[in-house]
Amino acid sequence: MADKGNDPVAIWQAMIGEIEKGFNSFANQAMASPEFSKVVNQVGGATVSAQKQFGELMEKYLVSMNLPSRAQVVGMAERLQSIEGQLNEIKAMLHQMQSASGSADTGSAGALRPPRTRRPHPPGKAQK
Amino acid sequence: MNAPIGLDPASMAERIQAEVQRAIQRSIKGVEYIASSGPSLGSTPKDVLHVRGTMSLYHYRPIADEIYRVPVLIVMATTNRGYILDMIPGQSFIEFLLKRGYDVYMLDWTAPRPEEKCLRMEDYVLDFIPDCIRRVQQDSGESDVTVIGYCFGGVLSLLYGSIFPDGPIKNLICFTTPIDFHEMKLFRNFSDRRYFDVDRLVDSIGNVPPEMILSSFEMLRPASRAAGQVQLWENIWNDEYVKSYRMFDRWATDTLPLAGEYFRAITKDLMWDNKLFNGTMSVGGRPADISRIKVPILHAVAEHDHIVPYDAAKHLIAKVGSADKEEVMLKGGHVSLVAGANAIKRLWPKLDSWLGGRSI
Repeated sequence: MADKGNDPVAIWQAMIGEIEKGFNSFANQAMASPEFSKVVNQVGGATVSAQKQFGELMEKYLVSMNLPSRAQVVGMAERLQSIEGQLNEIKAMLHQMQSASGSADTGSAGALRPPRTRRPHPPGKAQK
Repeated sequence: MNAPIGLDPASMAERIQAEVQRAIQRSIKGVEYIASSGPSLGSTPKDVLHVRGTMSLYHYRPIADEIYRVPVLIVMATTNRGYILDMIPGQSFIEFLLKRGYDVYMLDWTAPRPEEKCLRMEDYVLDFIPDCIRRVQQDSGESDVTVIGYCFGGVLSLLYGSIFPDGPIKNLICFTTPIDFHEMKLFRNFSDRRYFDVDRLVDSIGNVPPEMILSSFEMLRPASRAAGQVQLWENIWNDEYVKSYRMFDRWATDTLPLAGEYFRAITKDLMWDNKLFNGTMSVGGRPADISRIKVPILHAVAEHDHIVPYDAAKHLIAKVGSADKEEVMLKGGHVSLVAGANAIKRLWPKLDSWLGGRSI
């Protein structure tokens, strides 16, 4: 293979790496200034206000088009999650009942658990 | 004409041939890349033990013949998904722990819903974590629990451990956990109290959107995404590289929103007032001074962490009150410390050798 110092592909890759480092370093210096923070937060603040107003406008539009709004879709998702949560609670209760009825160490899936007797292997001895 | 010094015409021909083959492979694999989805992540068998709003508690099915007495609860960072610790078989921290005989649970997060914008720091520290610990105790039948916190999961674990120093945490392990937020210089500048109106933000939009969280992470290394794309194209002939790229890229962009009130507390108490570092932090009116933590603690930090720089993490070990405490600095970055080839060689064996003897 060609010497790495003369390999055009290696040179290209090294160059990309250096450009990345250099740009990151330059940008980090620029972003550390109070002026940067001021500008970014001014722009961000304006965006947040615009986003809020746009959201409210969109909500009215969807109502007029007889389409579900985001809030309504989220509401449906919440009801589904609530049903899932209740199913999980029932599942957990069933596991508890199963554990209480049997003496064996059973896990969350109701399967037998291995014994809690493990000890660390002596130093130098490879583990599986 | 002679070749320039150091350039061997035979090896150059070989190199050109290899590059032509790679160019052909790039075209074929490039189409495959666009047409296919990435590898399936987080597939280690697990049971959902409990789900409540943004909180999910999983139990991973043991695979060793015998397990350590003390179960392990992993507390994930609230900004990201837990599958970073369970990528694919052979590159999964969870799978590694299971094979080494640990009984593993994970407190993972889903996106908080709009009405969960009111979740406060105390909901995380005084409700979600204690609830999960109680359920781990019930499920395992053991009173002691080892807690592993990744990044901000480490901060939450520290807060919990400092409020409940008498148990049930038996061991505490933190990965890349910041405590001096004034040393997270760029984040601090982004949230400069003179210009950043956190009240206006939270009051206007409720939960902080994931795009905003992702942008703030990406701004720490603004050229890296573009450079990553160039590197991907160069290596698209290499299936292993592409698989790894897709796994990490998917995880990195799968950022979670943050509950509004919780974000407000992080900004004011940690970013602005640096209360965790100053020992003045309180959660729900209860003092949360990490010097109260007395349990064995291991803190793993990454040498090239651009998200949590070493200066932000280095005082943790000095400030906790534990007699049995250790900091380990390993090569790698914020993510490669815990996942990927680097972690397999370095962090995971170190953690096993530290935790095994403390889990009996």
